[in-house]
Amino acid sequence: MTASGLSTTGLTKSFGGVRAVDGATVAFHHGKVNALIGPNGSGKTTFFNCVTGMIKPDAGTASYRGRDITGKAPHRIARAGIGRSFQLCRIFPRLTVLENMLVSVRTSSLLGKLISARQSADVDRARELLARVGIDHLEHAEARDLSYGQQKLLELAGVLMADPETIMLDEPAGGVNPALIDRIGKLVRSLNAEGKTFLIVEHNMDMVMSLSDHVVVFDRGRPIAEGTPAEVQEDPRVLEAYLGV
Amino acid sequence: MPSDSDLVTVPARARTSTTTRVAKVLGLLVLAGLVISFPSLAPDSFILSVGVVIASYAVLATSWNFVGGFTGYISLGHAAYSGLGGYGTALLITRADVNPWLAMVAAGVLVAAFAVPVGIASLRVRGASFVIVSIALVLILLLVFQSWGSFTGGSNGIRLPRPFGDDVLRPEQHERFFYLHAALLAVLLLCWWAIDRSRFGMGLKAIREDEDKAQSLGVPTFTYKLVVFVISAFFTALGGGMYALWFGFLDPIFQFSILVGSYMVLMSLLGGIRSLFGPLLGAVIVGYAMEFFKAQYGDTQAHLIAMGALLAIVVLFMPDGIIPALRGLVNRFRPQAASIREVSAAELAEQRRAAEDTGGSERGEKEEVRR
Repeated sequence: MTASGLSTTGLTKSFGGVRAVDGATVAFHHGKVNALIGPNGSGKTTFFNCVTGMIKPDAGTASYRGRDITGKAPHRIARAGIGRSFQLCRIFPRLTVLENMLVSVRTSSLLGKLISARQSADVDRARELLARVGIDHLEHAEARDLSYGQQKLLELAGVLMADPETIMLDEPAGGVNPALIDRIGKLVRSLNAEGKTFLIVEHNMDMVMSLSDHVVVFDRGRPIAEGTPAEVQEDPRVLEAYLGV
Repeated sequence: MPSDSDLVTVPARARTSTTTRVAKVLGLLVLAGLVISFPSLAPDSFILSVGVVIASYAVLATSWNFVGGFTGYISLGHAAYSGLGGYGTALLITRADVNPWLAMVAAGVLVAAFAVPVGIASLRVRGASFVIVSIALVLILLLVFQSWGSFTGGSNGIRLPRPFGDDVLRPEQHERFFYLHAALLAVLLLCWWAIDRSRFGMGLKAIREDEDKAQSLGVPTFTYKLVVFVISAFFTALGGGMYALWFGFLDPIFQFSILVGSYMVLMSLLGGIRSLFGPLLGAVIVGYAMEFFKAQYGDTQAHLIAMGALLAIVVLFMPDGIIPALRGLVNRFRPQAASIREVSAAELAEQRRAAEDTGGSERGEKEEVRR
């Protein structure tokens, strides 16, 4: 158990009368591949958005590496070392693949912002990462001309370009073919071996069970069970949540 | 189901960088030559004054494009900044006896400072809401400048002294102001180009494409938007001030007019908001067309109808503007433009066989990819 990673206490978010996230207290294992699963509408994506600052929680706290990140602006949370992908893959459609990567380059100095975006060190790193996900031959193409699978790989490469310690993926296997799911799984495993922490929301149970070290099961906006994939699969509360009462 | 290994992808177009670079330099030289020789080529003083009007529109549209082109926030209210720049210049000269050129720059700085709180308030909303907020500011300023007669001259307008003195004749004055506007435009284009290639510019373009996504990657979106908004307001005010010095008279109904802001948007959209020279090209076309219609049909509404029709045509057939449309046309005839779609080896072989049979399917494939 490590408390140094990402954790939340009593996180709550309501939309109108619906409590999408309802007092969720979770600690994710730092340095591991964590999975967040649960039936549709159980609040996984809302939880994701609360943690990454896209929406402000009504109550509760989120902290990362001992720092309070509750309600902070998304770019500050990103700069604290958390990268994320979106459920319906989001890229910059009319920028080229290489430009998509260069958006992730960060500088704090004024001069650093004014110099050319195509610094050779950044371009080299972008090409390296594009090669790693397997789309380096497309660097001059506009992102909107890529296939959906390629766009997913580009989004992942863009997140990696920012060099986050913790990577949150919202349905990385959604809408892509089995060959690509396999490729994404291999990437997650090798990046985890290099020390990246993952938090993955996913419906593809084969992927979840084969990939993750720690599984958290959500139902009605809060965790109902957690443990290793094998433990969670045996848990009667999980079966009940998935199969209905 | 194709496995990972037999996915073949046709390489993206190879860049013929030397040829394009030479073409770009030549194009720039031709443009500069045209601008420099225009006053001596202009047959009479009227045409020269049309040239100044078009140059002024080019300055305003290019200034607008710092916000519109980079961030995609469409402000219909940029007349607020050109009007304030003009009035600021006029009031500093007539009320505080400041040197005209100093007054123009000072007004620009004051307007930039004014744009900070306006930007903080208005850049919180996106899309249509931002457009409405931007219009509201123009309407408020129109009322203020019309009603506050004792200070602004009210509906009677305000007259500015001629900056070069009375011994400089009208054609000479037109010529000087044409070059001054051209110089200001050159500075603007240089700044736009520098931002376009910078990391700051990359962040701004990311905001245009997907603001939330940009922020999730660590781009401080609000600060970026605000900075470029203030830069845009500053340049727009300089453009308004320079126009005021040339024209010598300001009427609030024309200065704080939704139409002026709409022209900046129309010109930029027409030329292409993602292109450096898009607003300039749009200003030349729209500015010339407006003067043509006014000369032909007098002071009727004919030029407004023509503008409306032009905008409809652009939005329907060239949503990205003329420059990207032309670029697309050129690329279409380039042999190396190719599919970037992932295809399996079997599909590729089939396509090649079909291409040999008909000689035409490869063409169709390119069309499809380009959409």
